[in-house]
Amino acid sequence: MDVALFDYGAGNLHSLKKGLEAGGGTVTITPDWDRALSAEALVLPGVGSFGAAVRSLRDREEDVREALEAGLPCLGICLGMQLFFAESEEGEGTGIGLLPGRVRKLKGRRVPQMGWNDVAAEGDTLFRATDPGQGLVAYYANSYVCELTGDPSPIIAWSEYEGERFPAAVRRGRAVGVQFHPEKSSSPGLRLLKNFLEEAAR
Amino acid sequence: MLRPRIIVCLDVEGGRVVKGTQFRNLRDVGDPVELARRYEEEGADEVVFLDITASHEKRGTLLETVQRTAEVRFIPLTVGGGVRTVEDMGELLRAGADKISVNSSAVRRPELLTEGAELFGSQCIVASVDAARNPPSESGEVGWTHYTHGGRKPTGLDAVEWARECAQRGAGEILLTSIDQDGARTGYDLLLTRSVAERVSVPVIASGGAGSHEHLRDGLTDGRADAVLLAGILHDGLTTVRKIKADLAEWGVPVRPIPEGTT
Repeated sequence: MDVALFDYGAGNLHSLKKGLEAGGGTVTITPDWDRALSAEALVLPGVGSFGAAVRSLRDREEDVREALEAGLPCLGICLGMQLFFAESEEGEGTGIGLLPGRVRKLKGRRVPQMGWNDVAAEGDTLFRATDPGQGLVAYYANSYVCELTGDPSPIIAWSEYEGERFPAAVRRGRAVGVQFHPEKSSSPGLRLLKNFLEEAAR
Repeated sequence: MLRPRIIVCLDVEGGRVVKGTQFRNLRDVGDPVELARRYEEEGADEVVFLDITASHEKRGTLLETVQRTAEVRFIPLTVGGGVRTVEDMGELLRAGADKISVNSSAVRRPELLTEGAELFGSQCIVASVDAARNPPSESGEVGWTHYTHGGRKPTGLDAVEWARECAQRGAGEILLTSIDQDGARTGYDLLLTRSVAERVSVPVIASGGAGSHEHLRDGLTDGRADAVLLAGILHDGLTTVRKIKADLAEWGVPVRPIPEGTT
């Protein structure tokens, strides 16, 4: 499967690339939207800031949204998930606007959230076999979280930080977003990447 | 619930993990990639590479080691040692580090923390604070001084105050090492850890002094650290991360369970 891993130019994509390859993908890292949108699956990684990522959209947000609405399988990770929304408190610019809502700062005393946190998943196929027996615990490194307006049904998993509940994962059709880092969440995270690719192949 | 982290630190020199006392009598103890793999399997929540070469000529070797590790390991990797500029940070992040730790260069130019946080996000920037207790004052007040150069050079800065400034300037985490306790294996400096944890709004990693499982527990409970860093007792084979986590769980510390069949 031809997987495009979009490169905002910000940082480490090695673990994610290898994780996707372990899940059965043939991965191309690219900063080119034409190339990214013509792949069989698109991955928006989670490194960088909202403003910088929006700049790398280069006014293609509508094209990206249309491709996702038309069924291009997409996995957004952390910042990549946040790009599904139109606006963020973190920076200027307009995201893809695939889901209604916004990105806002965590309210807890200790921000960023750094470390392994429990993920309560609500039966979505993305989470198949990711529970090692005592619940899924995934790695987070984020200061911002997504907040949906209206229908909460796109939320397929929740986490809690300092008493505040926030969406751990969202889905709209074949586009899924996770606020944590599967590529840094050891074997359960790798399984999640594999689940995404298996579903994308169908 | 956020799980307290067990972080394993590896001293790296010229692409190998080395061990010594006070930066002397270094001996080769293995391949960083292989050791990182073993610790991930055992259940380590994070790995730190501390480059003790500090010579810029060997930078390429470090980058190559980081990349080899990132390609096969799937837990967070922090890299520190000899990072001077945002370009150095970017280079390491692109090679595969998830976080960069800085000490001396942040003392020389505190703006480095802010610039790094703006470019890469504060979750990438770890401020390394090496603290030694001041001689007892007449009023009996306890204080610590921040050091650079592997604990050899006092900066005159109050360590707790400096940690607070680092967080304000953009560091997303404080790696707090007690120079007095480092290598002593008699426990973390809990008063230091608690003092910093109470003053900063970012996670604190307790380092220096771990000799037993009880010490790790105390760092996470009494010391109020979010994570504990250890090296010697693991590298010497005195215990394993698996055994540590079993004891901590038994004592009610909610560590991350170790997934079965970790690759």
